[in-house]
Amino acid sequence: MQTQQLVTLVPWTLIAQLLNLALQVYLIKRFLFKPINNILQKRREMADAEIKDAEQAKTEALAMKESYEKDMAEAREKAGEILTSAEKTAGARSEEILREANRQAVAIKEKAEKDIEAEKRKAARELKDDIGGMAVDLAGKVIERELNEQDHEKLIDDFIRNVGEAS
Amino acid sequence: MNVDITGAKIFYTFPFSVPVLGQLRITETMVVSWIVMVIITGLCIFLTRDLKVQNISKRQAAAEFIVETANKFVIGNMGEAFRYMIPFVAALFATSLFSNLISLIGLRSPTADLSTEAAWAIVVFIMITYQKIKAGGFGGYLKGFTQPIPVLTPFNILSELSTPISMACRHFGNILSGIVINTLIYTALALASSAILGLIPGAVGAVLKHIPILDVGIPAILGVYFDWFTGIMQAFIFCMLTTLYIANAAEG
Repeated sequence: MQTQQLVTLVPWTLIAQLLNLALQVYLIKRFLFKPINNILQKRREMADAEIKDAEQAKTEALAMKESYEKDMAEAREKAGEILTSAEKTAGARSEEILREANRQAVAIKEKAEKDIEAEKRKAARELKDDIGGMAVDLAGKVIERELNEQDHEKLIDDFIRNVGEAS
Repeated sequence: MNVDITGAKIFYTFPFSVPVLGQLRITETMVVSWIVMVIITGLCIFLTRDLKVQNISKRQAAAEFIVETANKFVIGNMGEAFRYMIPFVAALFATSLFSNLISLIGLRSPTADLSTEAAWAIVVFIMITYQKIKAGGFGGYLKGFTQPIPVLTPFNILSELSTPISMACRHFGNILSGIVINTLIYTALALASSAILGLIPGAVGAVLKHIPILDVGIPAILGVYFDWFTGIMQAFIFCMLTTLYIANAAEG
């Protein structure tokens, strides 16, 4: 087979290689750089979008925080108000309760006094009854005879009635 | 034993002849160049199959790495304004690299033909000149040859022309020398093994001395330098010089 010289410039080969290089530039651009750069671009856009989203979320969060803090301050103020009014109410209530308690105490005292009075009266009555009994006994002994049962009973009742009326 | 190192084979010669250009011949250089182009383009298509934005495959990661390395290389050497040069430099590098390394599978490197490098160097030379004219105007470009003193004009023209010539010859010389040294080593080792095995007496030695046993393995070790290292290095140097010369020309 024919061979060309070891070191030589062949115009046709040179032209062919020029065209090959031009074609290779196009091919490598079309099949490697275009798709890969597209993908890289897309990824960059995605990252940018994500950063934007994050920033937006941050802004929203800050706004939310602000409104939340405002709400909190309002709530605290309101709570203070409620507390103050509650204290006032409680003061009024406690005074009323005290008054009521006093009133009740007085009422209880009055009732107790009334009860005591009644008891006293009752005790006096019982005393009177006892005295009546004793008077019958004494009378029996004075008479020195035993009344029959029926007479005895009657006599006592009469006596008691008399004593009761007398007291 | 004769050592015969020849140029690329000529597969077919068209029967017509064009003035100046001579006869159109389909040579080994052209055919292997086309094979190289098919390999590079096939690789590009393979690497960029089903691209995704997220959760990328190893293949895509490799493709992205290549693209970003090319971007960084060109923009780092030439600046942002030369972004459009990226595919050219990448194509130049890929073609040079694959042409140099294709000798590993037994084909003749297209870069072992001076015409190939000459074509590339002419492209680079045109780009350099274009950038110079763009930067300083045609008058400024011509005036640049008379700087710093008019006496130096012939030397300036010489140095201007020597740029593409040196680029082409440097690359070509390195690849060709690899081929020459490889051929010499193969031949020398074959001779050595035939001499050593010929010491075995009788019929055994007579048979064995025709088997170049030393050619197995040893050239591969040397191939690490002459094929791999030189091949990668020359592709890199050629692209480096291309970017630097063009960027330099643009500065005026």
